[in-house]
Amino acid sequence: MVLRKDQIEASLQEEKKLIEDGKLKEDNPLDVSETFFRLCEACRCGDLKTCQETITEGVNINARDRFDYTPLILASLCGHFEVVQLLLESGALCERDTFQGERCLYNALNDRIRNLLLSYDYSKSTDPLQPLASHITSLLTREHPQTSDILVAAAEESFRLHKFILSARSPYFAKKLSVAPDTASWKLPSAIPPQAFGIAIKYIYLGEISNDVGGGPGTGFSEDEVLEGIDKISRQLEIISLWDGILESGDRRLARQRRTDEVDKGRNQLEAWFSNNVLKHKIILDTARAENVKWDRNNGVFADVLLRADESDDAFEIESPLEEDPLQRKPERKNGIPIGPLRQASRSPSRDGKPRKSILFPVHRAMLLRSEYFLTMFSSAFREAQATEYLHIISMDCSPEVLEVVLQFLYTEKTDFPLEIAIDVLFAADHLLIEKLKMKAAVVISTLGNGSMSQIPTRLDAAETSSPAPEELDIYDVVRAGWLTRVPRLEEFGARYLAYRLESYIDEEDFADLVRESANRIKGRQETDTIELLDDIRYYLSERFRLRFEDSGLEDMMEEEPTIATEAETDIDGKLPEDEGVDMGSLPNGDAARGDVNSSSGIMMKDGSSTIRTLDGEMVGDELEGDAINYQILLGKIEGLLTRLKLDA
Amino acid sequence: MIAGRGRRIRPPRRGLGTSDAVDFDSMWDVLASSLREIHTKNASKLSFEELYRNAYKLVLKKRGETLYIRVKEFEAEWLANEVQPRIIEELSQTLLLATSGTQMIATANEKRVAGEKLLRALKQAWEDHNLCMNMTTDVLMYMDRVYCKDFRKPSIFSASMGQFRDHVLRTPLSDNPDDQISIAHILNAVMLDQVQMDREGDIVDKSLLKSCAYMLEGLYETEDEDESTKLYLTSFEPEFLRASEEFYRLEGAKLLLEADAGTFCKDARKRVNEEEDRCRSTLSPLTLTKVKSVVETELIKKNLPEVIALEASGVKYMLDNERLLELELIYELSARVDPKKEELRKAVQARILEMGNDVNKATAAATHTLPKPSDQDGDKAEGEEKASEKPVSQQTTAAIKWVDDVLQLKERYDHVLTEAFKSDQGLQTAFSRSFTDFINAFERSSEYLSLFFDENMKKGIKGKTENEVDLLLDKGITLLRYIQDKDMFERYYKKHLSRRLLMKRSISMDAERQMISKMKMEVGNTFTQRIEAMFKDMAVSADLTSNYKRHVAELGDPDPKRAEIEVNVLTSTMWPLEAMAPSYNDGEDRPRCIFPPQIERIKQGFEKFYLDKHSGRQLTWQANMGTADLRAYFPEMKGAKKTREINVSTYAMVILLLFNDLPPGGFMTTEEIQARTNIPLNELTRNLQSLGVAQKTRVLRKEPMSKDVKIDDKFYFNETFYSQFQKFKIGVVTSGNKVEDSQERSETEKKNNDTRGGVIEAAIVRIMKQRKELSHQKLIAEVIQQLTARFMPDVNMVKKRVESLIEREYLERIEDREPAAYRYLA
Repeated sequence: MVLRKDQIEASLQEEKKLIEDGKLKEDNPLDVSETFFRLCEACRCGDLKTCQETITEGVNINARDRFDYTPLILASLCGHFEVVQLLLESGALCERDTFQGERCLYNALNDRIRNLLLSYDYSKSTDPLQPLASHITSLLTREHPQTSDILVAAAEESFRLHKFILSARSPYFAKKLSVAPDTASWKLPSAIPPQAFGIAIKYIYLGEISNDVGGGPGTGFSEDEVLEGIDKISRQLEIISLWDGILESGDRRLARQRRTDEVDKGRNQLEAWFSNNVLKHKIILDTARAENVKWDRNNGVFADVLLRADESDDAFEIESPLEEDPLQRKPERKNGIPIGPLRQASRSPSRDGKPRKSILFPVHRAMLLRSEYFLTMFSSAFREAQATEYLHIISMDCSPEVLEVVLQFLYTEKTDFPLEIAIDVLFAADHLLIEKLKMKAAVVISTLGNGSMSQIPTRLDAAETSSPAPEELDIYDVVRAGWLTRVPRLEEFGARYLAYRLESYIDEEDFADLVRESANRIKGRQETDTIELLDDIRYYLSERFRLRFEDSGLEDMMEEEPTIATEAETDIDGKLPEDEGVDMGSLPNGDAARGDVNSSSGIMMKDGSSTIRTLDGEMVGDELEGDAINYQILLGKIEGLLTRLKLDA
Repeated sequence: MIAGRGRRIRPPRRGLGTSDAVDFDSMWDVLASSLREIHTKNASKLSFEELYRNAYKLVLKKRGETLYIRVKEFEAEWLANEVQPRIIEELSQTLLLATSGTQMIATANEKRVAGEKLLRALKQAWEDHNLCMNMTTDVLMYMDRVYCKDFRKPSIFSASMGQFRDHVLRTPLSDNPDDQISIAHILNAVMLDQVQMDREGDIVDKSLLKSCAYMLEGLYETEDEDESTKLYLTSFEPEFLRASEEFYRLEGAKLLLEADAGTFCKDARKRVNEEEDRCRSTLSPLTLTKVKSVVETELIKKNLPEVIALEASGVKYMLDNERLLELELIYELSARVDPKKEELRKAVQARILEMGNDVNKATAAATHTLPKPSDQDGDKAEGEEKASEKPVSQQTTAAIKWVDDVLQLKERYDHVLTEAFKSDQGLQTAFSRSFTDFINAFERSSEYLSLFFDENMKKGIKGKTENEVDLLLDKGITLLRYIQDKDMFERYYKKHLSRRLLMKRSISMDAERQMISKMKMEVGNTFTQRIEAMFKDMAVSADLTSNYKRHVAELGDPDPKRAEIEVNVLTSTMWPLEAMAPSYNDGEDRPRCIFPPQIERIKQGFEKFYLDKHSGRQLTWQANMGTADLRAYFPEMKGAKKTREINVSTYAMVILLLFNDLPPGGFMTTEEIQARTNIPLNELTRNLQSLGVAQKTRVLRKEPMSKDVKIDDKFYFNETFYSQFQKFKIGVVTSGNKVEDSQERSETEKKNNDTRGGVIEAAIVRIMKQRKELSHQKLIAEVIQQLTARFMPDVNMVKKRVESLIEREYLERIEDREPAAYRYLA
């Protein structure tokens, strides 16, 4: 149901009042910080990279600026599809029947963005933490594999619980269990109704607490007694907010806000516990000795399995230059990398040429189950699932940093990791069958790895120097990783990336290999005979240059036409603007270009030199024509490449 | 590569595909040995992580296909070399021979043992295979997810299930290409054998069978795992159904030969339940409906008609002996095979008709044997009255007995219907139809039913509670429902009712009214209109009488000897006047009775009073229906008090008053009396009979003393009359409601037909007026449709009426119209 305008305004009014009373937190609080300003700027001009960076820094993407704009509204208004997508994926709210939500939708520049907004659960925004919360709640009822390590006995029921969750969420348990970590059971005071304890447990396990607390006839306790019990237990376990939550009720938005806060708080508690226990207790030792580590089942962090990651052989080879390279373009980004004691600890010995190190993380199967890999592992009859005196050591096929990222995701749903290890994370997530982390890794690669793509003039200027700036990533690896892990987003990203820098890649042998591979992928599937990668590149290429032409306007170009006359140009100038949106492969220019290419290599060479000249700025004053020629040349080169590879596309 | 391109992104630790050749063989070796370990149940030492990693790497390096094929090969080899031989080992020679069609030599026990051995071996193999494949699937999860999905291959699990099917079940046992017998064949044969044993009551290992059926259910013809291609469905089930068909055909023939219907039904039901159980506990629920339909067709449907018709124990026997349980069984079985339960319905209907006709016949016999002598005596007036008195009341009893019998029958079948037939709708209508049939086959049903009501209104309901009365009436009404000629019933009912009302014989007016409201509900408003009018007349008359009394009092006629009068003014159209005095034929004017002067005066006074009030009406005095209270003085009577109060009919009063004028000891002959009173002769003789012949009420002395009253008999006032009662009633013979004799009956019918004629004509005109033109067929149909609520119009009568209407120019035939049609003439 769509609300009428006056209804929306009325609810806006109501909302304002609630906010003024301090009852409701504002969905879109005013934010005048520098970071937020940068985010807004990035949303205006479509700078994906900065967006991702600021988001990683932890800016509130649902805040508003001085003009009441939220980043989502800005991005949607300015028509940056990718930015809108990124914001939505990162949890930007766009809720129907709210003032800001409607604003966002009505301001959308085009239908593509509008549909995206609508498709992103426009009517009910999803809580990004929901999967984590529901997993933890499900631990209460999960029968197999068995993960609980403490039994709480109430009058008739008994609860199978997890010490690490109890101690993360309840200060009372934290104290109690730190004193006696091997407690295997806990007895509920008989004065407290089991229902009350059940609710408390549900709360601790991030479940949704209903207003109906139970009790009444047939249960042995009246509702009042249950409520009283909840009061007592929440005080005993020091989870007072449970009691507050039970008392409060009513407004849907307030309830949802409280729920979001609760889950957020729970996550933070888990995170704190994760870093204070799991990370703190990780063991760093020589790989050779890693096998011999023996951890008792009753340990201070209640871990029931050890995950082992070996430092990679070539770790220092890669990392050292990274460390020592003072010419890093954006050194501040290093701050984003969680350089913990681990890395320093692990790195120094490697530099000293000491034997490889391994790191063991004491972890909990209950949390690992979030990955289907571990779920299968612990449900199977293999060694890892057998009960033994000492904890199993499961070695993971990835670097410790990556493993830490994975663990952090599993425990806290948090995913911030630097670009350097993004591809490793991607593979690890693929290996462990964690789809969400995979997507996240893909997002990181495709946003941070993007470079300053939106500033094309800069890029071209950079190319002008004819010594390309240091690349941030091996785009070939990215594309291949995308193929291998079945993330189409990465292939698209790769195509876009290549298209915007085609002049520096087109002649490389690796590029040809990549094209051939792409073609083979399709042949393997025996479908059509187009080459996906090239199609994508052509599409982005047209996007890249069309922007330029549109900027200048048709009339200017018509005036310029007689000055420089190449056959190809006439064609382009005449037709390109009209053909916008049409698949480039079918454009007549393509034919013209092919004619060029096919005539002789000499012409190609000549064209090539003219390009350089254009790029050099020799033909002064006509950047637009230069672009047009560049475009032609690049298309021509693609054709040439295809001919060479004997691929029909 | 462009030199100097710094990399900020670390290259993945694993090379990406193309360039690096994986050491497939070594990795595969690790995997293969692990798979072997899994199959030999040593998996607990294996590391999931390691195996998974190996498989993962192979897939990532595009070796998924090779891996897939290798695993499949491995499984095939394992199954063919390890599993199948083990099963063949368990395969005893007996089974082989049995399956290949050689003469059975083995005893049942040997067969069972051998069969169970094989089944157990197969079950074991299957369970092991499943377990291993689950583990293998876990390890190869990545391959399933990536390789199988991308290349649209069946998952390794389904593939290996296919291997099990091909390499264990379907591999021929001998190398001889003509001998295609495989484990699958033997398995089928063994399972069928076991089922057969189970059916014959031997004990078999059901859970073992179940697990084998389960295995067949888990295997498919193809790797697509289409639900309909389960091996269970494609290979076992058809055989099973064939075997079941054969079994139940024999079973049915045997039962029919050996057992009675009850046993048959019990057995059949038991078999059906057994099969259901078997499907649930031993085979697969998938077969449930199919095998049920086999049992139903072979055992029940094909034999049921014969079972129902069984002479000594069939449905007839059950009905007669109230075998409700067996009837219920029969019903259940019929319901299984035929939603309409045709056979059962026919059988029960036939029985109802038969019994109904028996009742009819018995009643007819009771009424016919007795009237005979009276018919013969009919010519002689003398003695006839007396003689017919008894049979007449007997006839009435017979009528009531008929109704009672029918009701009893009805009750019995209602009982059967609710108890055994679950109040089945279809059967209920069938029952009703049968009842309708035989009730209407009995031509006196309307009359008898009305008599039944009459009897009950007069006597039957005395001392009954309201509920009982209600129940009784309801029963009567149900019979009324079955009667087609409702107009006949109405006629009789009115006749009987009028007597009850006028003679004040009705016990409870409430019951009468209740009856009417019930009839109204059952048959409709028009039906009861006239009856209600009769009640109204009675009420109006009561008012009128009291008004008249007041009127007389006001007139101030102080004659103390003046007789009081109570008049019932009846609307002649509403009351069946002829019916009340049946001895007069139509057209013959009823002779006016000459009242004694004192009465005549009162009569004239009332007439004047009435006609003043309602001018233009005509009052006809029906002296034959009234009564009078007399106070008589018998001078010679014994005892102190010599006066008696006598209640007599109006005619008797007129006669008796004549004797007031006679000198003591004077007499009058019948003829004289007739001359002075103008009472019709037959009425007169009847009254004289009751006054002068009946023992207890002999107020007159007759000479000569005989039963019959002759025209020249002399009558004296009986001064020595004695009655112990102060007040008594001298009834007139045959004044009550009773069965009509055949003459009366034909009269009634004739009258009824006349009425019907009118009704039919009215209906025709109504229809034609509306339709203007209508074909003959349609007209007849509509007429019948309109009138069925009242009676079943005879087609010939309708035709005649049409003719008559045409003659009277209400209708005309449309010329040259085929089929014939009529037009309404305004």
